[in-house]
Amino acid sequence: MKIGEKYDPRKTFGKAVTGLAGNNEKVVVFSADSGKSSGFGDFIEQYPERYFECGIMEQAAMGMASGMATAGNIPVFCAIAPFVTCRPYEMFRNDLGYMKQNVKVVGRNSGITYADLGVTHQSLEDFAIIRMIPGVVVLAPQDPAEIVEAVKAMIDYEGPVYMRIGNPQIPVLFEEGPFEIGKGREIHDGKDVTIISTGSMTGAAMEAAGSLRKKGYDVGLIGMPTVCPLDEKMVREAAAKTGKILTVEEHYVDGGLGTMVAECVSDMENVRVRRMGIPKLYATTGSYEEILDFYNLNADGIIHQVMEFLH
Amino acid sequence: MNEKKTRILAARMRKWIVEEVYTAQSGHPGGSLSCTDFLATVYENYMHIDPEEPGKKDRDRLVLSKGHCAPALYAVLALKGFFPTEDLKTLRQTDSYLQGHPNMNTVPGVDMSTGSLGQGISAAVGMALACRDQGYENRIYAVLGDGECDEGQVWEASMCAAHYGLNNLCAFLDYNGLQIDGKTSDVMNTKSLASKFKSFGWHVIECDGNNIGELITALQEAQNWTNGPSIIIGHTIKGKGVSFMEGDYTWHGKAPDQEQYEQAMDELDLALKALEVE
Repeated sequence: MKIGEKYDPRKTFGKAVTGLAGNNEKVVVFSADSGKSSGFGDFIEQYPERYFECGIMEQAAMGMASGMATAGNIPVFCAIAPFVTCRPYEMFRNDLGYMKQNVKVVGRNSGITYADLGVTHQSLEDFAIIRMIPGVVVLAPQDPAEIVEAVKAMIDYEGPVYMRIGNPQIPVLFEEGPFEIGKGREIHDGKDVTIISTGSMTGAAMEAAGSLRKKGYDVGLIGMPTVCPLDEKMVREAAAKTGKILTVEEHYVDGGLGTMVAECVSDMENVRVRRMGIPKLYATTGSYEEILDFYNLNADGIIHQVMEFLH
Repeated sequence: MNEKKTRILAARMRKWIVEEVYTAQSGHPGGSLSCTDFLATVYENYMHIDPEEPGKKDRDRLVLSKGHCAPALYAVLALKGFFPTEDLKTLRQTDSYLQGHPNMNTVPGVDMSTGSLGQGISAAVGMALACRDQGYENRIYAVLGDGECDEGQVWEASMCAAHYGLNNLCAFLDYNGLQIDGKTSDVMNTKSLASKFKSFGWHVIECDGNNIGELITALQEAQNWTNGPSIIIGHTIKGKGVSFMEGDYTWHGKAPDQEQYEQAMDELDLALKALEVE
């Protein structure tokens, strides 16, 4: 993958799982009538015996994946994000979290990428609710290269993982490299303010930080492909250095990365946190790009927030 | 098959169930006592398990989908040697591994953590799928409550079990006709569960769920069935074995006081002794 090239996150994810399944026969895929649209077309052709179609029943699928994990399999279950988080939340908590099952749940078309489909298909609280289940890792890879590496890391990790990916094509931001769960990525060191972004917003945050740095502002930027467990060490070091943290996420302002960062630094003196995201309401409908702009979740919006913060 | 030994196991389980719930002063005696005969029959005669190796991959497995009847599961597991029977007196105590609902990560012999109704049967379906695909010749058992069948997830899982033709899956429906707020027919009339499971593609076997001879036969029929999952609909009596609990829904989830405990233990002792001298 070359920097700047664009890839479909779902296909990238499905291809990564299919590639790993060749060397790891424990990997099985669960579908709630969601396999092909989750990028598993090749998997279905290559490993039909390891592909389990459940029909449109996300609650039972979660339990079946849990049962299958007890026999040593590594089930990967992907569907539209709210249908694998909000709908089967109790199953996620009991069947996966409580039992520490080695199941990987992937919410696709996450955040507000399904802007035009309306509220039922949007997932703006998944970080908030899944991070409250003890022992569940929450991943939000920031570009196609990280998706590939995050898939490897989550399959290698022994325990329940939730990963969110989007839908529209996204550009490669980083060189491919090992993905360590729980570690932030320092993109720029800076002394004036630190932006901490995750998932789909890191591209816009890089653009904003680059523009501000050209203007002479010493803006730091941390990308957080792991939301939970948060890289608290990196957050606290940045907070100690700049005293100003701006978080950016395609999620409600409440409950997600911004809230976690605020919790993390709440005992530190002289640290302020500003949080960018979508206000906790049922978002309006439109195209994805229009809705992001509507909520100022773009490079200009980030620049504006940084300038307000600094002055 | 050893019917007498099974009846003695069931009688000993009933004493421990009352002991557990009385000591904890909380718990679910009614449903625990109604599914006792099934658990005794399947653990004594059908389950290939080893207390020395509770995690053996190709073991038979049992999911207590009606997880609130943990006192019955704990009793049979303790009596089959998975942990000391004395520990049964720690049910629901602070820091005891015997919580109100079974935890697979802390209780030897428990194959699935349950408690939230409707979830266990899904896990059992997943287990059956995985074990079949791995070529194990084991069987997966699941114990459902009749009240539990109000849950939509039961039917999601049932549909899937039939879709995948899981011959290695056998459910037991503890059809005692009562749930926490009264008769199942009053709380939510599910109409004929036998017809429902049949229409979902299950092989349905009906029997007296408190008759060990009939349960042995029913389990054998399920084992012989090779055209999908089987369900034994066991017509049972809630609180079976304790005269004042039998058929009384208020014993769904309450503990006996000392006088009631003593009366229950007297009755259960007599029943056990009668079996032992047979």
